[in-house]
Amino acid sequence: MATLNIMVGEAQGNVPVTILRLEGDIDAATQKILQDKATEVVGGGATHILLDMSGVNYMGSAGFRAIHALTNMLSSEESSTLSKSPHLKLLNPADSVARVIKTLGFDVYLDIYQDRDEAVNSF
Amino acid sequence: MEKVFDLSVKASLENLQVIRQYIDRVGARLGVNEKALGDLRLVVDEAVTNVILYGYGDLDGTVELHAEGDGDSVIIRIRDQAKTFDSSHVSEPQLDTALKDRPFGGMGIFLIKKMTDEAEFLPLPGGGNEIRLVKRGAILPNDQA
Repeated sequence: MATLNIMVGEAQGNVPVTILRLEGDIDAATQKILQDKATEVVGGGATHILLDMSGVNYMGSAGFRAIHALTNMLSSEESSTLSKSPHLKLLNPADSVARVIKTLGFDVYLDIYQDRDEAVNSF
Repeated sequence: MEKVFDLSVKASLENLQVIRQYIDRVGARLGVNEKALGDLRLVVDEAVTNVILYGYGDLDGTVELHAEGDGDSVIIRIRDQAKTFDSSHVSEPQLDTALKDRPFGGMGIFLIKKMTDEAEFLPLPGGGNEIRLVKRGAILPNDQA
């Protein structure tokens, strides 16, 4: 079975940013690990989350369902527009993952950064 | 037909990685380019995930994969003995809708159709289903492999 490890870090941008560094594969077998960790950090008060995807070798639609759920958890009731989330951003996805992000239209909702500091300071 | 590869595994989410590794081995043996290999890894994972979750559900079963090269194309057949699957009933994700109003489902089938040149979902005469996937322009010519 694939493994997914998640390390939680904090960084200070304009607001406190919780960084989830993902390592491994996100498929239907492991997506619950991401979903549970996301629920845990949001329950613990995180309001701005950067998903560091640089260690993700593979992500299928199950991973996008988890990201979708996380975006909904973080979004305020009134934000039902096509605008990008001010609460969740992505860092450094592999080319194959970035292509799926685009195919599924998630690039419309989520900013993607290549540089960690730039990402943290964008919140 | 050039090279043929088969795999039969228990229909379990725990085997998804085994199946992706099988696709990687097929890709390496056939000389599949990196972009096509990434797409094949994804569409096979999505197809098998649907078989496990929505075909077999709580039932035990097996998934059989058959892959072959044909010219510059890779053809993959995925067979199961699960209940008949009708992909026409799956609605596509609404890409022009705010994420919070967007339904969760339909992404797997959408990706399969988007990232292959042919995707057929066929009921088998004796029961079960066959998913036939074709990816063209996937295999590098011999002098570039």
